[in-house]
Amino acid sequence: MDEMVWLIRKTLKDTFRKKKNWFLYFGLPIVGILISLFFYSNASTGTIRAGVVNQDGSQVVTSGVIRYLEGLGQVQVTPLDEETLRARIASGDLDCGIIFEQGFADRVKTGEPGHIRIMSVKGESVTAYIKAMLQSYIGNVAAIGKETKGDEAAFARIYDSYSQHPFKLKATAQPDTSNEKMMSYQTIGYLITFMMFSAANLSEIILKEKENRTFLRLLSSPMSARAYVLSNVVVSLLLIFLQIVVTLVAMKLIFHIDAGMPTFPLIVVLLLFALTAIGLALTIVAFAKSTSAAGAMRNMIITPSCLLAGCYFPVNIMPETVRKISSFLPQHWLLDSIDQLQQGQSLGSLYVNLLILGGFALVFALIAVYRFGKNNDSRQFV
Amino acid sequence: MSHVLEIRNLTKKFGDFIAVDNMTLNIGEGEIFGFLGANGAGKSTTINMIASLLRPTKGEIVLLGKNIVKDSKFAKMNTGIVPQELAIYEDMTAYENVSFFAGLYGLRGAMLRERTEEALAFVGLGDKHQSFPKNFSGGMKRRLNIACAIAHLPKLIIMDEPTVGIDPQSRNYILQSVRKLNEMGCTIIYTSHYMEEVEEICTRIAIVDHGKIIAEGTKEQLTSIITDTKEIWIGFRADGAISIESLQGIAGVTAVRQEENTLKIVSKSEVNNLNRIIQQLIKDQVEIRSVEEQAPNLESVFLTLTGRNLRD
Ligand SMILES: Nc1ncnc2c1ncn2[C@@H]1O[C@H](COP(=O)(O)OP(=O)(O)OP(=O)(O)O)[C@@H](O)[C@H]1O
Ligand SMILES: [Mg+2]
Repeated sequence: MDEMVWLIRKTLKDTFRKKKNWFLYFGLPIVGILISLFFYSNASTGTIRAGVVNQDGSQVVTSGVIRYLEGLGQVQVTPLDEETLRARIASGDLDCGIIFEQGFADRVKTGEPGHIRIMSVKGESVTAYIKAMLQSYIGNVAAIGKETKGDEAAFARIYDSYSQHPFKLKATAQPDTSNEKMMSYQTIGYLITFMMFSAANLSEIILKEKENRTFLRLLSSPMSARAYVLSNVVVSLLLIFLQIVVTLVAMKLIFHIDAGMPTFPLIVVLLLFALTAIGLALTIVAFAKSTSAAGAMRNMIITPSCLLAGCYFPVNIMPETVRKISSFLPQHWLLDSIDQLQQGQSLGSLYVNLLILGGFALVFALIAVYRFGKNNDSRQFV
Repeated sequence: MSHVLEIRNLTKKFGDFIAVDNMTLNIGEGEIFGFLGANGAGKSTTINMIASLLRPTKGEIVLLGKNIVKDSKFAKMNTGIVPQELAIYEDMTAYENVSFFAGLYGLRGAMLRERTEEALAFVGLGDKHQSFPKNFSGGMKRRLNIACAIAHLPKLIIMDEPTVGIDPQSRNYILQSVRKLNEMGCTIIYTSHYMEEVEEICTRIAIVDHGKIIAEGTKEQLTSIITDTKEIWIGFRADGAISIESLQGIAGVTAVRQEENTLKIVSKSEVNNLNRIIQQLIKDQVEIRSVEEQAPNLESVFLTLTGRNLRD
């Protein structure tokens, strides 16, 4: 116990001595907040200036979509022709352009949206929001189209009631909180990635110590292998906890983003996920033969799985198959918990999610322990 | 003399490979015990079992009266190991390195500071407290490696080839500190490839080959094993090509080794073959510079017993 505290102290001291680590563990999540702010903010930079080209004539559905965009309150819509649109995007006069090509409305009515183009020179940072919003709205309308199977009258009736009531109300009634919720959701999406990378980095200390042989030297002191690995886990947990706190504090006090949920349950689910991330990191370390191998595995696993789980873009803009895959990823269950917490659910009602997250952590830990045990049998480190 | 360490029938297998083969050995208090053996002889494996880093396949290790195969914590508390490969933190200062390792053995506060300073001064790094090992020479790193193992003043200090590839100054420091530690009451196990070192500092020596102890005793006891052999050293000019095989064919010659410009030939003392050896060398057009007969030493013992060179 005593020697564990000694080792933990030393590892923390070592970690905080390097400026690079400060940026890695605390700077990056704050950069994450900044990016989220940029994605979803309309308070600071004003609205997104979008030029709209309607080549689809006076279709009800098309003008409905345009009205919906205007109704969002964050998009300033200017009707234009394509040529002017291109010129004004190029000159930086507009943030992005949306072109409804001929046949757009017909495609929506058949349930298979198409003939819509979004362009921007400012890249994903501007278009992601518009894409996400359009996708969900058009998706809903297309669903009506699919349901009514080409029955124009039925479509018109249902569409009419749909576009009159619920959505417009929802979109305009509380744009500010939903916006902040999205910012905090996105911030947490990035935080997930950084937590996972932090856990991987910290576990790789084990491999580094094997490579410079201090691991073996430590084991020749009264420190056992088990105590050593446990100390490493404690360090990871402490640092990730700090990372969470720093991110949440910065979000709230510096950037004034309201997470839209109480802080305590948020920290609980994040910490539970931290355990999962540490479990995964240990599994990587247990299977990797060297730090470079572990580094390769870490990069191969973390970013793609975060992408699939919806850490960077909402999953609902992704294809159905991707959404199904994401259920097998722990990040999905954390994001889902955050979503539900934002919708006002209590921590207790999320027990399924919490169990799944805990399960992931347990399984990873067991695999790592089993694998470490095998390594020690063959004395790989001697 | 009470025994600090008793090893009985110690065996270690890696799969089917027997690295240490039924070794039995006693080391008394206050000894500097030398393990001499070629590469792969099983020295490090034996040492790692004594330090409880490896579990023996078979056999007993009794340290200070306690069977440590069952109580590894006791072994770890009472030994200090200087690993064959450097095990220090390059990004921590010399002081922090020693202090960290000593702290693992429970030292804290003023005691820790005192012992850390002592250990560093001991290996001649007293003026390098705040320097980082990444700026050290190979020899200084080795000395720091030693300081890390002795700060907690263990009963038994195990040094696994502490002088590999270092400058003469560091080497002298290390040999001196081994003697000083010994005078302070530490028992020391010392492995080396360097015959001269072992001859110089060890009170008793075991020659290890293929995991077995093939001879054991003081330097005098060991050399007396081979009173029937002599060693002839022949100096020559560098450019001649030496045919070691043809020399080995000469009656009485048991081993031949070339070390730079010197041929070292071990031969049975009762066979008078010096003329034949010189004839052969002249035939091979070797330009002889000097010929001398050596009294039997550890090196010739080793060569005779194992038929191997100590160094590759
Ligand atoms: N973990 C291991 N798995 C398999 N074989 C091993 C292992 N460790 C050592 N060996 C083998 O056991 C033999 C003895 O190795 P050991 O390291 O004890 O030799 P040594 O006398 O210390 O040699 P050196 O002078 O090179 O340090 C060697 O042949 C080595 O290959
Ligand atoms: Mg060795």
